[in-house]
Amino acid sequence: MSDLDKAIAQLRSCRPIPESQVREICHKARELLIEEGNVVTVTAPVTICGDIHGQFHDLMELFRVGGDVPDTNYLFMGDFVDRGFYSLETFLLLLCLKVRYPDRMTLIRGNHESRQITQVYGFYDECNRKYGSANVWRYCCDVFDYLALGAIVLGASSTLSSTMEPIDEDVEIEVCDQSGGTLSRFSRQRHRQRPDSSSSANGVPADRTGPPGSGASGSSGGTVGNPTGAVLCVHGGLSPLIDTIDKIRLIDRKQEVPHEGAMCDLLWSDPDEIDGWGLSPRGAGFLFGADIVKVFNHTNDLSLIARAHQLVMEGFKEMFDASIVTVWSAPNYCYRCGNVAAVLELSEDDTGTGIFSRSNGDVGRSKPPMLENGGLGNGPARRYRVFQAAPQDSRGMPAKKPVADYFL
Amino acid sequence: MPSSIPNLLTLRGRGGSRASRGRGRAHPDAHDTTIQGTDTDAAVSRLSAVHCGYLTDPYAQFFVSADGGPPTRRLPIINRGTYTRTTALDRLVDAFLDGRGQRQIVSLGAGTDTRVFRRFARGETEGLVYHEIDFEVISQKKMRIVRGNPMLSRIMGEITVSEDATYWSSDLGTRGEYHCHGLDLRKLVDAGESQALIPGLRTDIPTLVVSECCLCYLATEQAAAVLAYFHNRIQSLGTVIYEPVLSHDAFGKVMTSNLAARGISMPTLDSYPTPTDQEKRLSEAGFHGSVKAMTVGDIWRRWVSEDEKTRLDSLEGLDEVEEWELLAGHYVVAWGSKGLDVQGWNELPN
Repeated sequence: MSDLDKAIAQLRSCRPIPESQVREICHKARELLIEEGNVVTVTAPVTICGDIHGQFHDLMELFRVGGDVPDTNYLFMGDFVDRGFYSLETFLLLLCLKVRYPDRMTLIRGNHESRQITQVYGFYDECNRKYGSANVWRYCCDVFDYLALGAIVLGASSTLSSTMEPIDEDVEIEVCDQSGGTLSRFSRQRHRQRPDSSSSANGVPADRTGPPGSGASGSSGGTVGNPTGAVLCVHGGLSPLIDTIDKIRLIDRKQEVPHEGAMCDLLWSDPDEIDGWGLSPRGAGFLFGADIVKVFNHTNDLSLIARAHQLVMEGFKEMFDASIVTVWSAPNYCYRCGNVAAVLELSEDDTGTGIFSRSNGDVGRSKPPMLENGGLGNGPARRYRVFQAAPQDSRGMPAKKPVADYFL
Repeated sequence: MPSSIPNLLTLRGRGGSRASRGRGRAHPDAHDTTIQGTDTDAAVSRLSAVHCGYLTDPYAQFFVSADGGPPTRRLPIINRGTYTRTTALDRLVDAFLDGRGQRQIVSLGAGTDTRVFRRFARGETEGLVYHEIDFEVISQKKMRIVRGNPMLSRIMGEITVSEDATYWSSDLGTRGEYHCHGLDLRKLVDAGESQALIPGLRTDIPTLVVSECCLCYLATEQAAAVLAYFHNRIQSLGTVIYEPVLSHDAFGKVMTSNLAARGISMPTLDSYPTPTDQEKRLSEAGFHGSVKAMTVGDIWRRWVSEDEKTRLDSLEGLDEVEEWELLAGHYVVAWGSKGLDVQGWNELPN
């Protein structure tokens, strides 16, 4: 067993590794990350995860639900640290897995991967407490500066794959529970049908397009976006300074997260029900509306933006005709919020037929709250695995730690 | 530790205070002791909000024991919540005191609350009769702190202590009078016609009973009986109640179980699950004037001016936006009156 494998085993049991080894691993990780572009290209299949926030035992639950590394290809969209009790073990484990399986593990930067934020929200204190000095915190922050700012997922299938049972190729979204049981399925076909719609009543499958990358569009009236299946993953969202993905590639990212500008916006912004751009209540980044997302996706041949950053009680939330989704992977956030978590699985396109074309959203069907605005019928097939917090007895909340604050 | 812990906005060239965040507290076994401990919790939160610039309260520091370290710093959402709750209650109390003639305030479970010092220090209190009621151990502590602190002593004047030492008071001359009672509120439940439990309580002047996270710790019937104690004796009465709500949703369930893990139970949380139930509670208790309940989230949105929000947002930055909505939606301020109309309450934004 190599030292790295030993470190992984030790971290998996939620025990910190020695400072000297942290230094070594951070050094290796930096050498690896420095070679990555600002926007990493990832090929499906991939499992996309949102905020973890030091909830180590819930990360173990995530791996149980989503499959272990390296069997499953993972993309984590940042905010590994702060708030939870085990930011250190969480980040170091993910980093070790990155070093061990670089092609199976993609880590991009969240707004909490910052010197400033970690000093307010817990990671700094935790490192100090666990090592008696801030050295480990400094090594980790140096790694933060090299994390990519985003990722592009290519080759996602328009149909869901399953080892369990054949799934109708018309199913666009499947929601599973933590044991893999299907909670619900949403089909493109059903979505397109209206009771009074004669054109689709005969069950003719939805229009198809050419293979991924061809840019061919169907005849369903889709005018926005592009059905190539490319998915942009970023922690926060868009920036008024960024209209093309190439502009993200031009950022000099190897620095502390600035308090304003394109890099800051990518890590801090949120989608909102507004037109255009708005001021963010977070004091950094911006709010952006459906129009911004649609234009951006169209310009950049994207079918979907996946992002994290915002707590959603149901674990995921699609907005703006399914042009953007929030994925949140920290169940019962801060041991207080009572939410469930989710990961998003995109399967590999092995049919050669690619993605269905966009429809302009034949809205009007009842749907769960996390599938806002109707708007199904676009983009790659998506399987959301929803999971709850790890059982209380396994998370070993230290008795001396403060429990969640309330107003008393 | 670096010389300072920066806040989110130091890079933006704005000021902010520096301190470390919350630390753990012991788990006492008895519910009463635990509830008394919530007062310390509130005092620490108040000082944090003062320290970070949310509130101005020169007296908050005297009620948190300094252990040599820097004062405990709460997370930004807790500071914002402390601010919103404190200013909301100030506003309701101020509106009540605005009326003509002599007024009386009865603060239940006042603990180490500083409102009384802020009020008397500000003046314009002519004839105000101010009662605070809490466990004896807490009221005694308050007396010791006041006596041992020149600034507080100056405000409160000369203190008279009762023979059994459970009650202390101060005659502030034209400014009014102050009474601090070491009294278990549950004694009011079976008080009958007795007037002796709360010395100095006037029944002939408009009175405001304030419960800032206090009645919620009593059994629901006891809480109702405490309100009835005042209702039965005082003709013109108002009440302001602040406590948590919505125990039945996902956040509320976790809140209930987290508080239970600290040995805290809040019976009224189940009895009055929504803001509407809180309004109904007041109506059924005989308060029919200006009855209203608003969540802390709504109060933040509607009562705090845009300028003030800008000022507060610039103090620390607040990354926990969704968490704030959840937390602030689970606390309610409810108020109502009988036998008098509080003009200021009718003019509040809702």
